[in-house]
Amino acid sequence: MNPYTLNPAFWSRLQFAFTLSYHYLFPQLTMGLAWFLVYWKWRALRTGDEKYNQAARFWAKIFGLNFAVGVVTGIPMEFQFGTNWASFTRYAGSVIGQTLAMEGMLAFFLESAFVGALVWGEKRLGPRLHFLAAVAVALGSWTSGYFILTTNSFMQHPVGYQIEADGALGIQSISAFLLNPWVWVQFAHNQMAALVTGSFVIAAIGAFYALRGVHAAQARLYLQTGTTMGLIAALLVAFPTGDQQAKMVGRHQPVTLAAMEGKFVGGPEAGVALIGQPNVAARRLDNPIEIPGALSFLAYGHFGSFVHGLNEFPEDTWPDNIELLYYSFHLMITLGTLFIIVMGIAVFQNWRGRLESSPLLLWVLMLAIPFPYIANILGWMTAELGRQPWLIYNLFRTNDGYSRMVSNGSTIFTLIGFTGLYFVLGLLFLYLTGRQIALGPDRQMTGVKGKEDAS
Amino acid sequence: MIAAWFGVISFMIIVYMVLDGRNFGAGMLSWQVAKTPLERRQIIAAIGPLWMWHEVWLIGFGGTLVAVFPRLMATAFSGYYLALMLILWGFILRGISLEVSGHINDRLWQSFWDTVFLFSNFLLAILFGAAAGNLERGVPLDAQGDFSMAFFTDFTPYGNVGLLDWYTVSVAIFVAVLLAAHGATYLTLKTEGSVHDRSARCAKRLWVAVLPLFIIISLQSWKIRPALFQDSIRRPLCWLGCLVIIISAGALISGLASGREKRAFAGSNGVLAGIFGTGAAALFPIMLYSTLAPENSLTAHAVAAHPNSLLFAAVWWPVGFLLATIYFIFMSRRYAGKVSVRKDNQGFYD
Repeated sequence: MNPYTLNPAFWSRLQFAFTLSYHYLFPQLTMGLAWFLVYWKWRALRTGDEKYNQAARFWAKIFGLNFAVGVVTGIPMEFQFGTNWASFTRYAGSVIGQTLAMEGMLAFFLESAFVGALVWGEKRLGPRLHFLAAVAVALGSWTSGYFILTTNSFMQHPVGYQIEADGALGIQSISAFLLNPWVWVQFAHNQMAALVTGSFVIAAIGAFYALRGVHAAQARLYLQTGTTMGLIAALLVAFPTGDQQAKMVGRHQPVTLAAMEGKFVGGPEAGVALIGQPNVAARRLDNPIEIPGALSFLAYGHFGSFVHGLNEFPEDTWPDNIELLYYSFHLMITLGTLFIIVMGIAVFQNWRGRLESSPLLLWVLMLAIPFPYIANILGWMTAELGRQPWLIYNLFRTNDGYSRMVSNGSTIFTLIGFTGLYFVLGLLFLYLTGRQIALGPDRQMTGVKGKEDAS
Repeated sequence: MIAAWFGVISFMIIVYMVLDGRNFGAGMLSWQVAKTPLERRQIIAAIGPLWMWHEVWLIGFGGTLVAVFPRLMATAFSGYYLALMLILWGFILRGISLEVSGHINDRLWQSFWDTVFLFSNFLLAILFGAAAGNLERGVPLDAQGDFSMAFFTDFTPYGNVGLLDWYTVSVAIFVAVLLAAHGATYLTLKTEGSVHDRSARCAKRLWVAVLPLFIIISLQSWKIRPALFQDSIRRPLCWLGCLVIIISAGALISGLASGREKRAFAGSNGVLAGIFGTGAAALFPIMLYSTLAPENSLTAHAVAAHPNSLLFAAVWWPVGFLLATIYFIFMSRRYAGKVSVRKDNQGFYD
């Protein structure tokens, strides 16, 4: 298969997918962490207990590093609408530009004005204003999430648009566009998933300290806050938000749901495959182990409901990588289930007062760090692969959206450039974050030490 | 309506250049005016708490451009593909070097990242200058409203146009010197001690260099696109822009001479805004001029979004702008006065 001829947008797609997946490793943590910082700053204000301030100070440093990498890897995302997806921007810019710009004007200004104050301004601002800075950053980051998800929701489920005289999209109803039913479900699902990442990372660092027998008070705080929030968020990711998300896909993108489940033949009492491999050439699911009727029930509310199969749809409307879509979706579900189990056990042990004396559980919590990231990215792969072959569902194909003036050579060149730069950036990030974690929360930010103090 | 949006877009990019210009300038001078890693921390602290807020003006500009002039964004960004990617990489390097150099109290670590900071700022100033030059000169737009062009040309005045040719490189050098002078004026206002004294000396020398360069650039622009000059003479807004430049230059000169640092910095802001504003006012209504055939040029009317979109954007944009201004005033008051590396460690952790 020659990707040039079959898939002319291939390199631009790959570059966008790579830079976006990489970018989203950072905002998912800051969106989750932001509310922990608010909570700890609030507890510190109310109780005057220094351990909360210490926790907030420590995590603000981690937050600052993530935020900085999130900002610098985020700018390329917006620019790529123009550089790599010029035809798409011409076609839909009047609509999607609204939320892209609102994200900048209404969310990023708020976030960026206060993030410096949150990370470095404790002394300048005093406790009350410093708490407010944390609130402002949390609100800003969640608002920006809402706007970018509104943009994505329009691509998943276009509403409130009209086709203008020049053939491009224009806005017909702004309220329909902003209050897209898709976005509320997606926003809730996505933000809960960000909280899962935040909770797991905090609990993991708590477990790391507990296992090493250092920073005992802080470790206890991280473990308690992280696992409690982790269980709540992991449950909410699955139900109701994930459940509603799947129903939304079933209602508006039936072909996507069929591909996610590897369902080629439609019918009532459709089952959910626990395992099985989609065989697209033979149009069947190989070696399936199914729970009968489960898919009908989950997607449409009744065990007897009819679930569409891929065979009912023309092949040129099938998602173009059914295998990857199927495995992304199923792996995400598996991980989500494991998160509930792990956090459930951790909360139970904590309630019995035995969490810190269960080394096995602490090891599991510590080593679980990569998995919420993987699950978040898999979720986005499910959403974006499931939307194919459309850039805007049922309106505009991905293969019509790329920039014709940009040669494949240029895109391959910049993709390699991004890969190299992001590799170095990743090493740097891991080194500095690891260093902060190794130094631990007892280190105070005392400003310039060393040379100046010595003099 | 479309003229108003042209004004808003120009306003946003000018505000961005004035605000982030001081950071580019300070970055380009960071080895000139600060001789030790500790002195360079003063420069980082002066830029520090609000650099992301400044950069959001560029992000807000990009978003608003998609919303109100989507076809311009599509044409210009894909036509300038490689240059824009270089700008993006420059931003990544600048943001990262700014954030991480203070993380480890090690001479080599700090010198390395301070060097990356220096070069990335220099690269960005040159590329933004070249972008301004490309806007003034125009690009080879075809009848479909697309273009692609060489990254370099042979630099002869009569050769092909390219992203970097004799004219755009001249503009880039001018812009780099202008931003360096602006940054030096800012550092004079924000720093103390020997960094302050060196910045003040630097500012005077650089502003003296700006004047002859400005005259050369004006002559070159007149040669390369004479119609633009003839148009601008008839535009009251351009005369207003010139007036702003003259008044601001007066404030700048008297401020520099008498050591009134706030006045000098206000003047410096005014000079930058005046120069870029006059350029934008002269360009209207053409957003991207075609060097192949004038009728291929993209006007604001041709690239604008549909009326509903413009109308709707007119609702949220002022709200966003007002809120952004409030945050800015709030934060600026907190960070008013000279920076102190003891108080504003800006990531100087241990």
